[in-house]
Amino acid sequence: MSPNAIMSSDREQVLRLRSIVMAFGRLFAVNGVDLDVAKGEHLAILGPNGAGKTTLFNVISGDLTPTRGTVMIKGVDCTSLPSRRRPRFGMARTYQKARSFPGLSVEDNLYLAVVGKRGRHLSLWRSGTDRSWREQARAAAETVWLTEELATPVSDLSHGQKRQLEIGMAVATDPDILLLDEPASGLSRGEREWLIELLSDLGADITLLLIEHDMDVALRVVDRVMVMADGQQIAAGTPSEIEHDPVVLQTYLGTGASA
Amino acid sequence: MTRQLRSPTTIAFVAVVALLVVLPAIGSSFFVNFIMTRTLILGLAAATIVFLSAYGGMVSLAQLMLFGTAGFMFGNAVLEASPRGLNLGWAPWTAVVFALAVATAIAFLLGALSSRTTGIYFLMLTLVYAVIGYNVFAQVVPISGPSGITRITPPPPITQATHLYYAALLLSIGGYVVLKLVARTPFGLALQGVRDDPVRMASLGFRVPLHRALAFTLAGFIAGVAGLLNVWWNGQIDPASIGISPTLVLLIVAVIGGISHLEGAWLGAFVYVAANSYLRALPFVDRIGITEDRFNTVIGALVLLIMVLSPEGLSGVIQRLSNEGRRRFSRFSSRDGTGRVDTSGDDAGESPVVMIDSSTSPPTEERK
Ligand SMILES: Nc1ncnc2c1ncn2[C@@H]1O[C@H](COP(=O)(O)OP(=O)(O)O)[C@@H](O)[C@H]1O
Ligand SMILES: [Mg+2]
Repeated sequence: MSPNAIMSSDREQVLRLRSIVMAFGRLFAVNGVDLDVAKGEHLAILGPNGAGKTTLFNVISGDLTPTRGTVMIKGVDCTSLPSRRRPRFGMARTYQKARSFPGLSVEDNLYLAVVGKRGRHLSLWRSGTDRSWREQARAAAETVWLTEELATPVSDLSHGQKRQLEIGMAVATDPDILLLDEPASGLSRGEREWLIELLSDLGADITLLLIEHDMDVALRVVDRVMVMADGQQIAAGTPSEIEHDPVVLQTYLGTGASA
Repeated sequence: MTRQLRSPTTIAFVAVVALLVVLPAIGSSFFVNFIMTRTLILGLAAATIVFLSAYGGMVSLAQLMLFGTAGFMFGNAVLEASPRGLNLGWAPWTAVVFALAVATAIAFLLGALSSRTTGIYFLMLTLVYAVIGYNVFAQVVPISGPSGITRITPPPPITQATHLYYAALLLSIGGYVVLKLVARTPFGLALQGVRDDPVRMASLGFRVPLHRALAFTLAGFIAGVAGLLNVWWNGQIDPASIGISPTLVLLIVAVIGGISHLEGAWLGAFVYVAANSYLRALPFVDRIGITEDRFNTVIGALVLLIMVLSPEGLSGVIQRLSNEGRRRFSRFSSRDGTGRVDTSGDDAGESPVVMIDSSTSPPTEERK
């Protein structure tokens, strides 16, 4: 289907999508997407608003069950596995619109992210492991520069801090498949630099899928790009190929390349 | 730890408890054994509504039905040769365990059944539970009468009215502390996560419906405890006491107190019971047209007044006052300190304490 997709067959496949279709009534938000992502690969998904990027993420994370197609995670067919079972595959995601728990403190938000993956959800006692999970939550706060705000209720955070927390909740679980949906939206220039640094520093065995409008951010931290429009892949390649792809410039950027 | 023990909230709590403990020595028998015992019982039941709403985001109308179920079960199990009920004639404490087990099991079943609904749908479903519960007791006469089960007495060590007052006090404190502590456990934090964003909780790996069902079960158990106190206090129970209008009264009690603060449940219960007892007794009250039938209108007006003044109920008013007080205090004490008010030991409500740093914000108003 996609001749220019880079198949990295020598590395372990962590994600394999086949003919994914997600229909909402008569709207095909995702319409036949194939995607292979190898372990440690950093992939950006670009495309105009409404292209179906977030919907594709929802299918991968299990928030939506696709109308058609299969989702394989680490070789296991997860197509209709509920989202709550996916953290155990090492998967973590952020949402385009920050979805944290406004009634809880920053630390408790991060802590819940850790507990969610590790288990003991119904515990009424604080155990020894619990203490190490708190540590893990605080370490995540440090990663996203929120150590000062550990006790702050999330409802009192600034917009930028909420975005930081959103990323913190994803990295707190020590994921090896990380899905970030427009993490840079609404961030200041300085915060963007911080984000780029954070993403460039991700371990080599962490697989990253990044939806990003800001080409500057996206192209600096990934090694492969897929461009979507109208629910389909319209281009794929390395960042430099994509930057000069006439189809992409035409449909996505709407600039240059007068055909 | 020590800081937490000395936090204003803890001090206020200890002071209130101390006052309630010595109350029988200073208060009139009517006030203690009628007003206060009733307040504690209703408060404990209303606290389960507040718990589910404040921590779980679920407004339940089924709590009074569970409360009544425990009462009926106790009556059926404990009585021996009464003209009403099943007359199982069990030992009183066996009957207690039985009544609580039934209420808890029903709560678990109903909680599991409604665990995938939220908001208005959850509210409607619990209203249906309440209606079904009422109808079961109204129509299955062998377990409810005919026309109620009477002559119920409390189990052994509780032989006097003051004993019952202390039992209600002890269980209220116990219920309050348990619900407060549960909120800080992994389970309780997860429940608050479910309240704030169930979709996010699921993608973090939590079983959202299970959390809702278990919270509902815990609330059902505590409602059952309150229901037992209620039949011991009343000596009887009939289906009408768990009908729709008492069901709404319990919700009103929770709302008057402030549905986002556990303490509010008892506050609301006190206002309701006191209004119900004292306003009626005012001289000339019937002369201005407030007859027995119209009394609910008075309560309604009272609720309206409280809600208009503070949508957060009475505990919202108190919180605002205490925040104001603390702010003044911190402005005063920050001259030698950092000026940062520590909120970590606080049960952080919607309106956090404003942080004032006297070194950076010149007190412009004070200079005038
Ligand atoms: N839950 C939904 N129900 C109906 N339509 C949806 C839903 N989610 C997304 N869509 C539609 O699907 C299309 C793709 O949306 P989305 O995946 O959010 O795009 P993107 O993230 O690329 O901006 C849009 O037209 C959007 O309105
Ligand atoms: Mg999107």
